[in-house]
Amino acid sequence: MTEVTAAPQLTRKDFVSDQEVRWCPGCGDYAILAQMQRIMPELGIPKEKIVFVSGIGCSSRFPYYMDTYGIHSIHGRAPTLATGLKVANPDLAVWVITGDGDGLSIGGNHMLHVLRRNVDLNIVLFNNRIYGLTKGQYSPTSKPGHVTKSSPMGSVEQSFNPISVAIGAEATFVARSADRNTKHLADILTKAAAHKGTSFVEIYQNCNIYNDGEWLHVTEADVKDDNTLILEDGEPMIFGKDRDRGIRLNGLYPEVVQLGNGTTEKDLLVHDEQAEGPELAYLLSRLGPPEFPVPLGVFRSIERPTYEAQLADQGRRAREERGDGDLATLFHATDTWIVPEDSGWIPPEQRRDVSTEVSPSTPDYTPDIHHEVEQSELQALMEKRIATLDLPEPACVKAETTLAEAIELMQDRNLGCLLVTDDSDRIEGIFAQGDIFSQVARREMDMDTTTVGSLMTSDPTTLSRSAPIGHVLHMMAGHGFRHIPIVNGDGKPVALASFKSILGFLGDLLK
Amino acid sequence: MAETPAEATDDEGIEVVESIAVRFAGDSGDGSQIIGNEFANTSAILGNDISTLPDYPAEIRAPAGTLPGVSAFQVNLSSEEIYTPGDEPQVLVAMNPAALKANIDDLPPGGVLIANTDNFTRNNLRKAGYDQDPLGDGSLSSYRVAKIPLTTLHKEALKHLDGLSNRQIDIMKNMFCLGLVYWIFDRPIEPTIRMIEKKFAANPLVVEGNTTTMKAGYNFGETTEQFQYRYRVTKAPVEPGTYRTVNGAQAAALGLVTAATKAGLTLFYGSYPITPASSLLEELASLKNFDVRTFQAEDEIAAMGSTIGAAFGGALAATGTSGPGIALKSEAINLALVLELPMVICNFQRGGPSTGLPTKAEQSDLLQCMYGRNGESPMILVAAQSPADCFDTAIEAARLAIETMSPVFFMSDGYLVFSSEPWRIPDPDSIPEIPVTPWTNPNDFQPYSRNPDTLARPWALPGTPGLEHRVGGLAKQDGTGNVSYDPNDHQHMVGTLQEKVDRVADRIPEQSVDGPEWGDLLVVGWGSTYGAIRSAVQRSQQKGQKVAFAHVRYLNPFPRNLGDILLKYDKVLVPELNGGQLAHLLDAKYPLKVISYPKIQGQPFRISEITAKIDELLDS
Repeated sequence: MTEVTAAPQLTRKDFVSDQEVRWCPGCGDYAILAQMQRIMPELGIPKEKIVFVSGIGCSSRFPYYMDTYGIHSIHGRAPTLATGLKVANPDLAVWVITGDGDGLSIGGNHMLHVLRRNVDLNIVLFNNRIYGLTKGQYSPTSKPGHVTKSSPMGSVEQSFNPISVAIGAEATFVARSADRNTKHLADILTKAAAHKGTSFVEIYQNCNIYNDGEWLHVTEADVKDDNTLILEDGEPMIFGKDRDRGIRLNGLYPEVVQLGNGTTEKDLLVHDEQAEGPELAYLLSRLGPPEFPVPLGVFRSIERPTYEAQLADQGRRAREERGDGDLATLFHATDTWIVPEDSGWIPPEQRRDVSTEVSPSTPDYTPDIHHEVEQSELQALMEKRIATLDLPEPACVKAETTLAEAIELMQDRNLGCLLVTDDSDRIEGIFAQGDIFSQVARREMDMDTTTVGSLMTSDPTTLSRSAPIGHVLHMMAGHGFRHIPIVNGDGKPVALASFKSILGFLGDLLK
Repeated sequence: MAETPAEATDDEGIEVVESIAVRFAGDSGDGSQIIGNEFANTSAILGNDISTLPDYPAEIRAPAGTLPGVSAFQVNLSSEEIYTPGDEPQVLVAMNPAALKANIDDLPPGGVLIANTDNFTRNNLRKAGYDQDPLGDGSLSSYRVAKIPLTTLHKEALKHLDGLSNRQIDIMKNMFCLGLVYWIFDRPIEPTIRMIEKKFAANPLVVEGNTTTMKAGYNFGETTEQFQYRYRVTKAPVEPGTYRTVNGAQAAALGLVTAATKAGLTLFYGSYPITPASSLLEELASLKNFDVRTFQAEDEIAAMGSTIGAAFGGALAATGTSGPGIALKSEAINLALVLELPMVICNFQRGGPSTGLPTKAEQSDLLQCMYGRNGESPMILVAAQSPADCFDTAIEAARLAIETMSPVFFMSDGYLVFSSEPWRIPDPDSIPEIPVTPWTNPNDFQPYSRNPDTLARPWALPGTPGLEHRVGGLAKQDGTGNVSYDPNDHQHMVGTLQEKVDRVADRIPEQSVDGPEWGDLLVVGWGSTYGAIRSAVQRSQQKGQKVAFAHVRYLNPFPRNLGDILLKYDKVLVPELNGGQLAHLLDAKYPLKVISYPKIQGQPFRISEITAKIDELLDS
């Protein structure tokens, strides 16, 4: 159980929530709730560290009435939520409240597995041998032959014995009490809370609406001593109002014996709740009317490492062996390779994607070539690639080239424009005749110090050689470009499509 | 000016190609997966872009030599960025007649077939359903066939090694095959030798056996006259950085651990083994030094329940499963929804309905995850598009979950889990923190008070004094969280849950489009079909078709601008590995009728299938 920390002394009232309790008047659940609220302050656990988790059913309303943390979950699944919660925060004291339908029918599978895992939880199963919330159908603990709304001719099912099931599922703490045996119940709940590992407590609980009186033989003052065997660790098994009867082992089988006439306490079975094997606990779980008294108390209480402690231990070991987790180390914990900076990669945002380039930004941009050109010519425009044009190689300069040098080059070679490339020969700008008119002519500029880089149009629109010739036409017509650089996959200029070359192509086409 | 030649031959007589796909096929015990993976890793290290696709049979070891037992692994190498494992292999390695029969239809004429003749026995031929030996009857004349007695050569190579059992020797024969393939593709064998030395460090004899036979395979290629063809795939221009290969399961595991670290939380992962999600459980179980707490539950429901419990307790909680598991978890998922606790639910989809095709990919759980629960149950859905993208998507799912205090579906599928691709390793410091602010103030604390922007409720962790409160699956009043059957309370709460999901659209990126902003056709995809659709659309764009591609990562809520985008195109095509589930959602939400292109064969789309569909739509 959770370490006890210095907390202000709490009282029963501190555990009573502001919610109105809505069980049927006379329900056994009231008594269980009262005992739970009574023992809580004595456990010394701050109430913010306590969580009650339930499934569905009358008993599962329980968390609403405890002023602790709580989850009212779905049918049968409380042990699963409690497990995840306890693994996430082992510091919490977690209680599971369930019933015979919730815990042994729809949630039967989870019950088996939470018990064998030994998660440090306290499971309290209210057994009233009936489905109450759904108004009176038989449950997995209803006796064979039980007549209910869903078994009008009697149940034909063998019932579960919850204690036997828990022992079979390797539970480390198994106990039983009854709703109206309040002192005993408080004692058992306290012991369950103290146990480290899964505690399983079956509580005989009376449903006064649909199965009234099921446990009278165990709870009524005048008969209960004769019908119950109170288990005490290390003590011989004596019972009866006059404490004159006992349980003796005859070979493999138990029998009820009358004390006296030579039969003494020494002949009786002595309870050992810490016995390593489950045999004695299982044998006791099978006792009951009519031949035997019903054992109440702790059937089995053994030590076994808890699930969450072992998990935490593995985490500690992993950190010792491999160090605290480091993301960079983890990411690289396999063969890696390095792609150097000069891999020729172009970021997507800098790529010239032909499809987007022909995409007009406004609908009115689309040249209506369908009407102007015959189908065959349209096809030629769309099918023939730029690569098939006889385009000149572009003249390339660097951004540092001076204006004087650039103009001289253009005059010498009769060029309409220059392409500006970076150190990797990728295109970074275009410098055209138009730039001379618009930028140079109107300003005073030193032709020998001004660079092309300061005057060029950066990041010009380009096309690839595999683009249809039609795309060049679209761009010239739509954007008024006179020159479009053609680049390869690396962004290096390989040709220059000029207005003149496209005119030539169109001229040939129309001939 | 000519186009760049697609093929050229260099001085050593090696054909230089832009991309090539190789398929290894054999019995599930033949190790096709291992050599396929090694081949992919070595190629990635050499700078090729790679994409792999394993094709597992559902049975772990179906009877040897039979068609159900055939396991295949395809690797696509490229000098360009690639998005899929390729449509058809150019090279097929068939370890036995069944492997040949199951795969030969995919090999185009002129393709290279390498067959292990040792396994073409009468018995194996019969098991594969061949009346006569296809290697001898001329039926394979359209392929370049290399008939090699791999097993004999392999045993010969190891005969000087004493101490290896026959079983060990048998297992190693795939390494001979790998050596040969390395020679054909001009790859170095050193990376694999390093791997062998590391993996079998405890057993020097096994290291020597594997290494010896792999070298023998390589040398066999060099000395025999049988191979007139070798290939070299040049490096792909990829973004500079440090790379490794990841499959989807690894990437998702790394993503969840990263999210937990960035949120400063313990990662809890509760899961029940199910194909193909088990690998995520296994990956995370090995990361205990990150304080990852894995819980192998007794069933799917317990896995979900434990995840809810862990979320209540303050962990970054996650679970993973496949469609049948989602079905079992549904009731508990609804509990998570109304408890308004943050968690990631990974759905690695497989073929359905029912047990369906456990090892094959399908996208048929979209509507299940959207709607497959009782009551009004709006859930946030995000989907990964590639193996490496599972990393980013897992982080995004966790971020949305915590920010919104909601369970979030992280959609992936069997194809992404098993496929691998290069992953550019990010700098962990560059990944944004995920802010987590548990509630601590007990004054006027209400468990269902709400953040005015996100509508998230407070995360009030057990252990915090003064915040004791109860939550549950019953209908409740907003603010107090008290159980309430009041009609107006219920309508208000159901509406609030919906509004909370709707508002996520304010905080996610707008939908982007690859291609023209408006035009003749928009292809819309989601999840693992990304690679095939993107490749197909690019090809169409290069042909000059006005086609664009929108890949939807956020499936609920959709990005705000998605509707506007759809309406900018004459036609909208939605290819999906299901009966048209995204198409259905789009039709329901937006005023248009999309064209659904369903494929439900347990196999990913081929690029050519989508290209053909695009052409068909644009021609009509």
